[in-house]
Amino acid sequence: MASVRFERVTKKFGEFVAVHDFDLEIRDKEFLVLLGPSGCGKTTTMRMVAGLEEATSGDIYIDADRINDVLPKYRDVAMVFQSYALYPHLTVEDNIGYPLKIRKVPPEEYKRRVSEVARRVELDTMLKRLPKELSGGQRQRVALARAIVRTPRVFLMDEPLSNLDAKLRTQMRAELKHLQHELQVTTIYVTHDQIEAMTLANRVAVMNKGVIEQLGTPREIYNDPRTLFVAGFIGSPSMNLIPGEVKDGVFESAGLRVGGAGRVTIPRAVLGVRPEDALVTAADDAQANLVAPIYSVELTGENTLVSLQLGGRLMTLRADKNFAGQIDQPAGVKIARDRMFLFDADTERRVDFKPEG
Amino acid sequence: MATAIRTRSRAWERALRIAAYLTILVALVLTLFPVYWIAANSFKFDIDIFAVPPEWVPRNPTLKHYDEAFIERPFLRYALNSFLVAVGTTVVSVTFGTMAGYALARFSYPWQWRRQISFWILSTRMMPPIVSIIPLYLFFNYFDMLNTKSALIIAYTAFNLPFATWMMKSYFQDLPIELEEAAIVDGDTRWGAFLHVALPLARPGLAATAIFSLIISWNEFLLSLVITLTEQSQTLPIGIAGRVTQYNTYWGEISAAGFMACVPIVIFAFIVQKHLVRGLSLGAVKG
Repeated sequence: MASVRFERVTKKFGEFVAVHDFDLEIRDKEFLVLLGPSGCGKTTTMRMVAGLEEATSGDIYIDADRINDVLPKYRDVAMVFQSYALYPHLTVEDNIGYPLKIRKVPPEEYKRRVSEVARRVELDTMLKRLPKELSGGQRQRVALARAIVRTPRVFLMDEPLSNLDAKLRTQMRAELKHLQHELQVTTIYVTHDQIEAMTLANRVAVMNKGVIEQLGTPREIYNDPRTLFVAGFIGSPSMNLIPGEVKDGVFESAGLRVGGAGRVTIPRAVLGVRPEDALVTAADDAQANLVAPIYSVELTGENTLVSLQLGGRLMTLRADKNFAGQIDQPAGVKIARDRMFLFDADTERRVDFKPEG
Repeated sequence: MATAIRTRSRAWERALRIAAYLTILVALVLTLFPVYWIAANSFKFDIDIFAVPPEWVPRNPTLKHYDEAFIERPFLRYALNSFLVAVGTTVVSVTFGTMAGYALARFSYPWQWRRQISFWILSTRMMPPIVSIIPLYLFFNYFDMLNTKSALIIAYTAFNLPFATWMMKSYFQDLPIELEEAAIVDGDTRWGAFLHVALPLARPGLAATAIFSLIISWNEFLLSLVITLTEQSQTLPIGIAGRVTQYNTYWGEISAAGFMACVPIVIFAFIVQKHLVRGLSLGAVKG
């Protein structure tokens, strides 16, 4: 039962500004993901909630309590570290029970809660083992169990899945989501993996260089990116960003011309098209926006990724799995009218753009 | 062709291994023979100690010198003094060295203070101990502490502490800091994280530091020679050296006492040996 609020929080390491004038409210029971490339300040932001870093200025609240000067032990948050940070000299049982031991929970309750949590993460047969005798996935579960053994006000998770192999990661992702749904505890989750962010979050805060680029539901972030950074960061394969210029409302680039930006002129503009928002058609299709030679064809199973040579860069599109085009053959591209994004390359902001059909 | 190469490399490997064992053997003989020679001499009559050709194994073993050293002369007393001083020094140096090392490894300091303080601590080891003997003598004299074991403990600690601090500092720096952070977020205090997490993991470092400190203070000669004169305060090395007199050198007694002086250190080294093995933190992080 807790909300977390940042008010104008700045964190500096010497001269380096890690987090800049940061405002964010994480609602009660919300699963909020801080997403961004490494060095964007997301982990620092989380560590300030845990009390492992002090904010240089600004206020951090959990519910109505300002926690800037509260010792970590009184903040009542639990954290899962990227490295798991299991105590190597303690058994699984003692690792999980550590937060209870510190709080001097009576022995019967200690036993009951540890075994209950261990059962929940399927570690009940390994309580006597040491961390070094566990696999990566099991260690991850111990770290998780240690966090949920008491019911904290806030969960903090710092890239908890990044050390797992791909298959295990998908499985743990689902378990995490289910667990958070069951426990109903406010969660702040840090990751640089946009798939994790999209699948887990109620809301995503995309961070870059210490500021939030965009805050919204995964759907909003994906369908309505506000900045060039968000557009390029979210999506896999990432959005095609075609540089060009806008003259009198018409975007122009090598072999591509689309009108619809009112009457504005932008000397350096970028047109964004998601791989799945354009159709690869025949080169002689009269409705094609552009024609370009095929650079590569990659079958992923569910569909085919087709890269076209467009000027000096590649444009990647998602085509049907039965796509039959050959490398070096020309192909036409038909971009969905309402799925084009226009950005000003200088401000990196989105520009209002309604392509004329 | 391929077989020839393989045979040759196998022969080569074997030759290397034999060379390695031979080197180890030479090193062992060089280090262990003096110990053996002391032990052998301690069981010989005086006349056999000087026999030519040397008597490699005592032909008429005797405990006479042990009786002289430990019953007739106060070597038991010296041994007890040595023990108290060495253990006292070790406890004090390791305790404070550990806390100072932790502070230097973990806390943040403005500007370059971490380096400055560390260097300053180490710099006290840069001068040879003999330089400080007269000041130390005057100091202990002023406080009326000459001929006391506490004076020895204080003096030895002064020389051991920098080493203990540096050793523990580098040990703590090698421990992943997230473990203590995890403990702090789990509800522990900084002190609790140090006590429950960092310290147990630093056991190999503690053992190594303790052995070092113990051996140094057990063997120390110069300071003890200057600071102590009485039977109640003198340590084994001084007692043993005292058997080299103006008229005679009592090799038998020296051997008996010297051999017995080795025993506690060897036993202690055996006890803590397993803690010396690193790798306790294995599996803590990732893996």
